[in-house]
Amino acid sequence: MRRLHPRVLGGLLLTAALVVPGGVTHAAPEDALMPLEKYTTLKGKSLASAHRTRLLQFSQHIYNCLPWLSVYPGELGFRPPRDNQSDDRYLSTWIFVDQREDAVFAALPQERRVSAMFSRYGVDMLRRMAGLPEVIEDANVAGLSVVLSWLKPGTSRPGRQAVNETFALFIDKGTLREFLAKRVSAEEFTNRAKFTLFDGLDPVGRVPIEVWEDSFNSTYKVTNYEPPKGVTCP
Amino acid sequence: MRAWLSLALFFGGVVMLTSACATSEEWSDWKGHNTHFASGTHGFFSLRNNRDGSNPRVTRTDVESARQENWWGKAITVSPEQIFQN
Repeated sequence: MRRLHPRVLGGLLLTAALVVPGGVTHAAPEDALMPLEKYTTLKGKSLASAHRTRLLQFSQHIYNCLPWLSVYPGELGFRPPRDNQSDDRYLSTWIFVDQREDAVFAALPQERRVSAMFSRYGVDMLRRMAGLPEVIEDANVAGLSVVLSWLKPGTSRPGRQAVNETFALFIDKGTLREFLAKRVSAEEFTNRAKFTLFDGLDPVGRVPIEVWEDSFNSTYKVTNYEPPKGVTCP
Repeated sequence: MRAWLSLALFFGGVVMLTSACATSEEWSDWKGHNTHFASGTHGFFSLRNNRDGSNPRVTRTDVESARQENWWGKAITVSPEQIFQN
């Protein structure tokens, strides 16, 4: 068999690597953490350093035990809302929900889709984040934030540009604690929360939402799913 | 003429009521069915398992692969800067 010169072989391999499409990219749990160098204040950096191990464990938990969700790379960290004048840091997670085209979901008005998504995934994620006491009880953490993105129905059809709807919510620690303990109603919770919706890139703003109990995210199991060895999913 | 108008209004009302009922039915269907949401993922894994048969285990890598295989290109998404400060 004719042998190729190493340089030729290297060139061919490089070309193949550049030309061949596909290649599934896996965002490892540590990729979900906001890089330390992106924090612009000492407070943010200190929080990220102090709680890195715990956040990494949290990211690993989502990655291994909730495989229908994924955290956007670099979007798990301590951040203030865009319009905040002060450096109030919220423990925030930006989740992509793998929601495919579904006739029932598509038939819902936009604010109902938001209500459904937040009730199903947002509340459960906030509950899980609130279950990190050493992080939440840090005096420099003002509250929690969950951002959810999902595919806008009808936009993944051939010839259409796929668009994500994104809902971002911020809530102070006290209200969340009371809401999860059922001492604050869902209505009061939404009244106190800061939230906004985006349709693709377009800000829609605050939409009327309803929050109800939905145990899907805490009970759903992917058929025959096996977490990696050594990982226990409760 | 008046009879035709009444008939048209009647049928118009029926259509509106029917569509309203369908919406509320769909809504209760949505709230009631816990497995509804991840239907796409659900379907994919069923297919995969049927095809493989001998090895029905699903790993996190399979989930990622499913996501990629079914992907429709990069979806337009708001940038983090529109939501957060750093």
